[in-house]
Parts: sequence; structure tokens; C-alpha cells
Amino acid sequence: MNRRAATLTVVTIGVLAVLPPLLSSTWLLVMFLSFLWLILTANYDVLDGFLGHINLGQGAFFGLGAYVTTMMLNVAAVQALGGLALVVSALVAVVSAALFAAVMAVPLFRLKGLYFAIATLILIFLLQVFALNLGDLTGGSYGLYVPPRFFVSTFVAYYVALAVAIVSVGFNFYLSRSTLGLAFRCLKEDEEGADSIGLHPLRYKTIGLVLASVPSAAGGVLFALNAGFIDPTIALGVERSLLPPLMALLGGTGTVLGPVFGTAIIRIIETVFFHYLRLPVPSMLFFGLTLMAVALLIPAGLMRSPRVRRLSLFRAFSS
Amino acid sequence: MARALELVIGGLSLGGIYALLAFAMSLTISTTRVLNVAHGVFFVWGGATFVILSQRLRLHPVLAIVILTGLFFVLALAFERGIVRTLLGRSHQMLLVGSIMATFGLGLSMESALGYGWVTFVDPYPVFSSPLAMFPIRLGDVALSGSRLVILAFVVVTVMSFHLFLQKTFLGKGARAMAQNFDGFLVIGLNPYRLSMILFTLAIMATAISGAFYVLAVPLNPYEGLPLTLKSFTVVILAGVGNLPATLVAGALLGVAEVATSQFLGTVWAPAVSLAVLFLVLVVKPTGLFGKGVY
Repeated sequence: MNRRAATLTVVTIGVLAVLPPLLSSTWLLVMFLSFLWLILTANYDVLDGFLGHINLGQGAFFGLGAYVTTMMLNVAAVQALGGLALVVSALVAVVSAALFAAVMAVPLFRLKGLYFAIATLILIFLLQVFALNLGDLTGGSYGLYVPPRFFVSTFVAYYVALAVAIVSVGFNFYLSRSTLGLAFRCLKEDEEGADSIGLHPLRYKTIGLVLASVPSAAGGVLFALNAGFIDPTIALGVERSLLPPLMALLGGTGTVLGPVFGTAIIRIIETVFFHYLRLPVPSMLFFGLTLMAVALLIPAGLMRSPRVRRLSLFRAFSS
Repeated sequence: MARALELVIGGLSLGGIYALLAFAMSLTISTTRVLNVAHGVFFVWGGATFVILSQRLRLHPVLAIVILTGLFFVLALAFERGIVRTLLGRSHQMLLVGSIMATFGLGLSMESALGYGWVTFVDPYPVFSSPLAMFPIRLGDVALSGSRLVILAFVVVTVMSFHLFLQKTFLGKGARAMAQNFDGFLVIGLNPYRLSMILFTLAIMATAISGAFYVLAVPLNPYEGLPLTLKSFTVVILAGVGNLPATLVAGALLGVAEVATSQFLGTVWAPAVSLAVLFLVLVVKPTGLFGKGVY
């Protein structure tokens, strides 16, 4: 990162940090939700961009985080902790998502390519079935409420989500420069070769999946605490797994800034067309067509397309 | 005993439809390496088109099937031209990512277009089933649903014709060659683009017609397409990619397992069966229970 790119990054973060008092509550919420999407997209890119695995299960960690926190906060013993209850339940949620990732890594990474993609896609459907049918714990299809005194205002949630998003993108930046990232890309290019020089494939892939699951689960925790209510379609909706690949692909996988621009573009389009202009078309129709067009026309993503690379703004970052 | 027989017939006709879906999917994956995630959506669209033609426009069911076949022939050609052909020349990883993403996008948009269009223009209640009252057949004290038997007959006929196509015709042999050894296939001068067009057209038409038969017995809703793709993928994996005879067995197994689960554990757990089976097979033996087959 040269000085110009560093300045631009600092300025962007600074603007985002002073923005909340100036925004209306609607726009604050829109920005907060965009940060959640950015977290998921950046986490998705750890596996796709650096390890070469298409992970269609990123939303499972988000949903798990949301559900575990809400379930914890509905337990009387946890409520008795008072202010500490939020911290405890958030920690438990994040740790259980990380454990889930670590346990799932063993069977999942026996698979590659298509099989891996489908197996990860199943994760969110399986969690949905459990959330729907274990009504005593999860409230089934009626959903689950967060006790009102544990609500987190959008103002606070904005800053926490911004911090988590910076950590997620920062982690991808770290991967693009560090030995860990080099090991990841080594595995992506040639797994047997990497194994022969002492990079244990399963160990590195597990590290990747666990580190990618933690911020996503934190995003889920924030979402649940801010919304105050979750049910299987809100917290475990399949679009939580499917939009991150779209955003990452649009921006360009394996480039640190690709997911950021992809998320921004999709969120701007979504906000303008569906919240502002209120187009009478279902949003999934639009996202489906976009995903198709991106996959067919710019398979490498915007950040890698030569026309975009020529812009001076991008040259600052690519050097 | 009688109850058990009804369950088995119900399971087999359901499994037969899964097998047909999976059959078409397996054929296209093993030859072109393009995974069509929109596969189940074509099935649902087939069912919806049939209901519109036969119920809303009051056409004779046979005429409806003919028109439906024509419509999906055109749709399949457009699909092959627009998506498959664009993807075919790519490297292995790019082909995989591209095919999953592009067909996923297509599936999502087709699904929501159908859901939205149905609610807006056809019926505010987005579930469609066929009006054709089928004769129940009684054998002693066993009551068999006529529409389920029609489905079973349709499955048998379609699978037989697919089998004959693959074994006896020049194009079918070409398809087997393409799946077994792609380089060899090119060396003897066959055209992969032409064959992929024919296979995708056949697969999508067969899928749409199965959808039309399926709504005779079971109501469908517009958003069932992608879960059905997962189910048919379960069958493909269970049988091993490209192993067509085993696909039939695997489809029947899954159908009976689902019917038995909803009977004994409650209908809410039925969707979990195929997911759990798929996950277990992927993890324990990704090559499928029967090994990689050659047609």
C-alpha cells in the first residue's frame, strides 16, 4: 500500500466514523446493514479468493451467531447477569460459530470444487430445518424475541459493525501481504505441491474457515440485537449465503478491495431501486439477473477488468 | 400391510420423479461439466405452464403437453445459447464457478418471476395443482392413487427411451463418449457444441414434462425449484455422477425414505432427509454409493 492508498483509506474510515450524527435513522440503518453485508462478503472472499473454495454457507455462521445470542438472552440465568449478559451471550455465540466452523471443516474440506459448494450450501438449509423444528429452543417459525432491555441502538450497532467490517477487510489485506496468505494461495494453486513443502492442507483450510466464521457470527449477533426479533427466514435466509458470492464476484475475488466495491455497488443499486424508487419488481429477480450477467460477462470481477484498472484511483491501490 | 404398500407406491412415484430429474441432471453434468442449478426451477415452470394451459386456458391435457414441449424446446435452446455456450470454453475452475453462479442467478430470477407473476396475474394463492381427477384403483383393500400410477408409468417410459437413446443412437453413443473421454471425443471429430445443445434441450424438455406430471399428484409452489435442484443433486451424488442406472435406484431410495420419514416422524422432518443424506454421502463417500459408472 503506497501513501496515496493509505491516505484514501484513512479518509474513508474517518468519513464513515463522523457520518452517523448527520444521518437520518433510515440511512443509519441502511449503512449498518451494508456493513453487515460487507462483513459477510469479505469473509466469503477468504475462502474463495485466497483458498480457492466456493463457500455457499457463509450465511450459516451469521444465522448461528444471531440464534445463539437470542437463545442465550432468553435464559433467566443469563438475564440475571445484567449488563454483562450482552457480552457473555455475544462471546458464546461467536465461539460456538467458530467451533461449528472447526468441526465442519473436517468433513467439508475432504471435498473440492462443486461438491464443496453444494455441501456448504446445505449447511444453511440444515440449520433452517433445526430452527423450524426445535420449537422449544428456537421458537420455530414464530421466531424469537430479544428481551427489550438488551436492544442495541442502531447508532451503537453502526460503530461496532464498522469496526468488525474494518477488521474483516483488514484481515483480507493482511492475507494479501503475509506468509499466512502466501500459504493459502500456495494451497489454492497446487495442493499437493504445498503439502510436500510442509503446508498441511487441512490445518490451513481450517484456520481460514474459522477465521472467516468469527466476524460473520459477530455480524449475526449485531443484527439480532439491533432487530430485536429473529426467525428462520430473517436470520437464516438463503440470501445471506448467496449475495456475498455475488458481491465478491462483481468486485473481483482475491483482491482486497473487490468485495468492498462489489458490496457498495449492489447495496447502492438495491437502496436506490427498491427502497427509493420502489420498483414493482421482486428484488430477487434483479439480483438473479445481475448474478447471471456478472458470471457470464465479467467472470474475473470489476477490479481485474483492464478498463477499471486504468482508472487512477485503482492504480493507487494496485501498486 | 396394505398401508405399507400404499407408502411404497407413494414413495416410488415420488422417487421416480426425483430419479428423472436427477437423470437429466447427471447426463448434462457428466458430459458438459456444467451444473445447472436452475434445473429444479425448469421443473416447477413446467408444472406451472401445464396448469395454466390445461386449467386456465381449458386445453386438452395432451394438447397442453405438446404446447409445453414446444415452449420448453425454445427456452432450452435459449438457455444453451446464452449460458452453456458462453461457459464451455473456460478453464476448469472458472467453468465451475461460472456455471454455479450463472445458473443460480437464472434460477433465482425465474423463481421470483414465477412467484410474482403468478400472484399478480393468475391467482393470489401461489400453489398450483392439476384439476384432473384421477381414478383411484382398488386391489383388494389397497387403494392406489391413479395419478401416482400414471406418474410411475411416465417415469418408466421416459427412462426406457433415454436408455434406448444412449445405447442405440449415434448421438447417444456420442454423449457416452463425451462423458467417458473428452479428448478422444474431440479426436474422432465429433462436435461438442452441437451435442451439448441436444443434450440440454432433451434434459430441459424431459424435466418440464416431469413437472407437468408431478402436479397431477402433488401441488407445487413457485419457490420449490431450488430445493428440488438440491434433491435431484442428492440423487446424482448418491448414485455417482454419470451412473445412470444407479440414479433410478437412488431416486427410488430417496423417495421411499422421505415418505417413510413423513409417515413416522412427521412431515416437518421430510425435507431434512435429503439434506442429511446428501451431506453424509458427500462427506463419507463423494463418489457415490455405486461408484462412478459408465452408462
